[in-house]
Amino acid sequence: MKEESKVKKITVKLVVWALVLFWCVVSFLPFFFMVMATFKEQFELLMGGVFKLPEKLYLDNYIEVFTGNIWNYLKNSVIVLVISLTVLLFISACASYPLSRFKFKLNKPIYSLIVACMSVPIHVTLLPIFLMAVRTNFYDSIWALIGPYIAFNLPISIFILVTFMQGIPKELEEAAEIDGCGKYRMFWSIMFPLVKPGLATLAIYNSVNMWNEFSFALTLTQSAENRTLPLAIWEYQGQYAMNVPMIMTVLVVSVLPMIIAFIFGQDKLIKGMMAGAVKG
Amino acid sequence: MQTGNSLVKKREKEIRKVSAVFLIPALLFIAVFIIYPIFNSFQTSLYEWNGITAGKKFIALDNWKELIGDKTFRKAFGNNLIVMVLSIVIQMPIGMALATFLDRLGRKGTVFKVLWFVPMLMSSVAIGYLFKYALDANTGLVSTISRMFGGKNIDLLGNPNTALITITVVICWQFIPFYMVYYMAAYSGLPGDVYEAAIIDGATRSQYFWKVALPMMKPSIKSAIILSMVGSLKYFDLIYVMTGGGPGDASELMATYMYSNAFESYRMGYASAIASGMFILITVISLITMRLINGKEEV
Amino acid sequence: MKMKRKLAVAMTMALAGSTLFSVPTQAEEKTKLTLWHIQTGTMASCLENSAKRFMEENPQYEVEVVQMQNDSYKQKLSMAMSAGETPDIYIHWGGSSMIDYVEAGQCADLTEFMEKDNYKDQFVDAGIEQCTYDGKIYAMPVENISVAGIFYNKDIFEEYDLEEPETLTELEAICDKLVEEGIAPFALANATKWTGSMYYQYFATRKGGLEPFQNAAAGTGSFEDEAFVYAGEKIQEWVDKGYFNEGFNGMDDDSGQARQLFYTGQAAMDLMGSWFPGTVLGENPDFIDHVGFFPFPALEDSEVDQTLCVGTVGDNLYSISENCEDKEGAFKLLQSLLDEEAQVERKSFGKIVPLKNFEAEDELTQEILDTVNAAAGIQLWYDQYLPSEVAEVHKSTSQEIFGNLITPEEANKEMQQAMQDYLAKAE
Repeated sequence: MKEESKVKKITVKLVVWALVLFWCVVSFLPFFFMVMATFKEQFELLMGGVFKLPEKLYLDNYIEVFTGNIWNYLKNSVIVLVISLTVLLFISACASYPLSRFKFKLNKPIYSLIVACMSVPIHVTLLPIFLMAVRTNFYDSIWALIGPYIAFNLPISIFILVTFMQGIPKELEEAAEIDGCGKYRMFWSIMFPLVKPGLATLAIYNSVNMWNEFSFALTLTQSAENRTLPLAIWEYQGQYAMNVPMIMTVLVVSVLPMIIAFIFGQDKLIKGMMAGAVKG
Repeated sequence: MQTGNSLVKKREKEIRKVSAVFLIPALLFIAVFIIYPIFNSFQTSLYEWNGITAGKKFIALDNWKELIGDKTFRKAFGNNLIVMVLSIVIQMPIGMALATFLDRLGRKGTVFKVLWFVPMLMSSVAIGYLFKYALDANTGLVSTISRMFGGKNIDLLGNPNTALITITVVICWQFIPFYMVYYMAAYSGLPGDVYEAAIIDGATRSQYFWKVALPMMKPSIKSAIILSMVGSLKYFDLIYVMTGGGPGDASELMATYMYSNAFESYRMGYASAIASGMFILITVISLITMRLINGKEEV
Repeated sequence: MKMKRKLAVAMTMALAGSTLFSVPTQAEEKTKLTLWHIQTGTMASCLENSAKRFMEENPQYEVEVVQMQNDSYKQKLSMAMSAGETPDIYIHWGGSSMIDYVEAGQCADLTEFMEKDNYKDQFVDAGIEQCTYDGKIYAMPVENISVAGIFYNKDIFEEYDLEEPETLTELEAICDKLVEEGIAPFALANATKWTGSMYYQYFATRKGGLEPFQNAAAGTGSFEDEAFVYAGEKIQEWVDKGYFNEGFNGMDDDSGQARQLFYTGQAAMDLMGSWFPGTVLGENPDFIDHVGFFPFPALEDSEVDQTLCVGTVGDNLYSISENCEDKEGAFKLLQSLLDEEAQVERKSFGKIVPLKNFEAEDELTQEILDTVNAAAGIQLWYDQYLPSEVAEVHKSTSQEIFGNLITPEEANKEMQQAMQDYLAKAE
């Protein structure tokens, strides 16, 4: 009996770890080959295919990327991301608070409206927003991107945060209210810390979205000096052919900051999550 | 009595005021950048317009009539539903499984977390190219593996029966990490001593998962389903990069169909009708689903 | 409405205020000219160099050369036009879109400039013709004479003792031989759609000449004409016989999936525009010596002219915006794109500039040039000639023909319907 359950336990463990490793391969392999492609010359990639290891460590692609406009694109991307993300997280937390906590007449209609806004297809908004940017003289500057970036990630962020806040027990607030704590302070000192795990998820999700965003960046900027990273691959996408190793190099360079931020950030995020978890 | 009543009123008034202060910034952004454009799109849908000329021709509901009889749009909507169902069925369990594993491992799981998160970080362009090469019927990985086992070349993207499903799998691959992180956050929202209490009560780990953790995370799971639904119904990126909706209209989605009408066929009016139709469809579907899965429970 | 617009302004203003960065640059005395193009790599630098030379000679101008992405170019341009932000100089592909731009008042009449000092006589006549609408010249052909023809791998032809075919029967014999040897006769990546459409266009042109298409597009003929039936049937026959590589409808030409088969010898031929040598030079320069060319073979029993080519004379045409404030200056800038230095540069990248004085320096270019010179006429790419919405239907139905998803009759019927719908609306 005991032997049997031991065997069973070990098999389960083996299966689990096999699956874990399998998923590592599935998740990481494409990225691996993407990096490998950056060490190839164009003809090497076309002759041997993407899934062959490079013949030698060919670094010219990186040299070309780093001596190009990439630093400027990077700067623009960082500025847009930092501003948009900060504003986005703050105002979505604000908006989620009354929606998840208070009873008032407009609560459900507003919540439904926000869900409806999640369903707006982005491409149809490009033209009106473009015209708006032209009229307000924001066209062809990175500042034109911030508004749309915040707005288009708001509905989902609010939707997720409302779910999170609803899951937080009300006892703490009730106790605070008896102590005479005002609503604003309650939000800042009780709700905001408790909702950190949700905010962390949103920070990750939204920064990836904004970092890779293409349509608005294409529509709202023109000059090379105002472009963000996702547009950097243009230089290698021709009318009849594209330079795939160079494109991959640009994309690897673009994703590196995100990976680094994630590796360092996720440790902090866990701490945030732990701190956020309700004890008791 | 009276003072109590006025106190309640005062409280209500305060709640209204506080709610307004908290909601106004978000609503402002939404009004300017989302509601105004979609309103504008409804307006444009009443015109015949190529998107370039200054003059538009008013044609009332002609675009809408065309939309209702449009085979390709119907096909695209059907395709969207396929993507939606597959996404939910594939993403939810795998995302949950990964999150459960990482939650149990705690900090030791960092390596896995980083590796598993990578697909989410890659841009759709990169993913599109890599999978296009991997699925190439002559030189791709899938065909090579098939040949190794003595099989024939396998053509997934050029075959109208498999193109959509293949890309959906790639889409899931890209978005599973999001649901993983999302469920990890949901786990950390569970009260800390629930797990210990359950184990002390003699529950096994799997019992804890099925009987305690999962029911407690129900609201998060419901929201995740809605997110996945809305996301799939307005999906665009990888289809555009990988097949452009082809072969024929085999992998056409509502969003790609709208895009090609707007910017390739220069039919801005009709594209606006598609977009507005999409908006109505997705909103109705998601609100009904929310009503259904929330049942009698309080929202 | 008004409220909301005000709101938008207020909001963006608030954003600006909070950032403090958006100080407008001080007014410049120089006249600014903006040019949009979609060239990449060395060709993009060629344009930059022209602009630099222009600015040195005309210091009163400041030129911004903006590189755009091919895939999203039409989107970007149409949006700019609808907001009155059309760049001073922009490229397009002629055909229906040029007519759209002209009728939308976005395209300046260049006739006067082109006729001054008989400048236009330097261009190949077919090129000028392509830029002309309603008797006026609206663009300048700059980039490339691009006609489609068959490029082949010389090594494979040598190995199996094959010769350049002159008739379709000979070509089919070659294909049968190659299929027997396990080599795909043609490399095709048809997720791109226009790649397969070239076969359709050539078959239809060989069978019926230029008229059936012109008439069908004008509404006086029909896409159900026998020439189009023949084209569709021939394609499906070739597909059934295995003349194309496997999985073509899922493969993308831009990212090189067809050329990969061509370079590695898995496929012997590629029906492609004459930019092909330039592409090879860019991505696999050593391979260029292995590439041969022959025009699309003749159909023996046809009564129409068999020298007709499918393609474009100019490829990218450059137009000046009607809103441009200094059209004369902009035109000078255009001319600098084809000045002597630029001509030399362009030639070195394998381009055939649409000028009469162009002389080929290598055999491959000479053969392409001979084909063009011998052609009794050039059929502009269907997808550029046709109105955009009909062109999309053509591309999609031709892909479906290749995939055996519909019969040629169904495809042609759908095309005819689309054309009729368009013409009915235009009236």
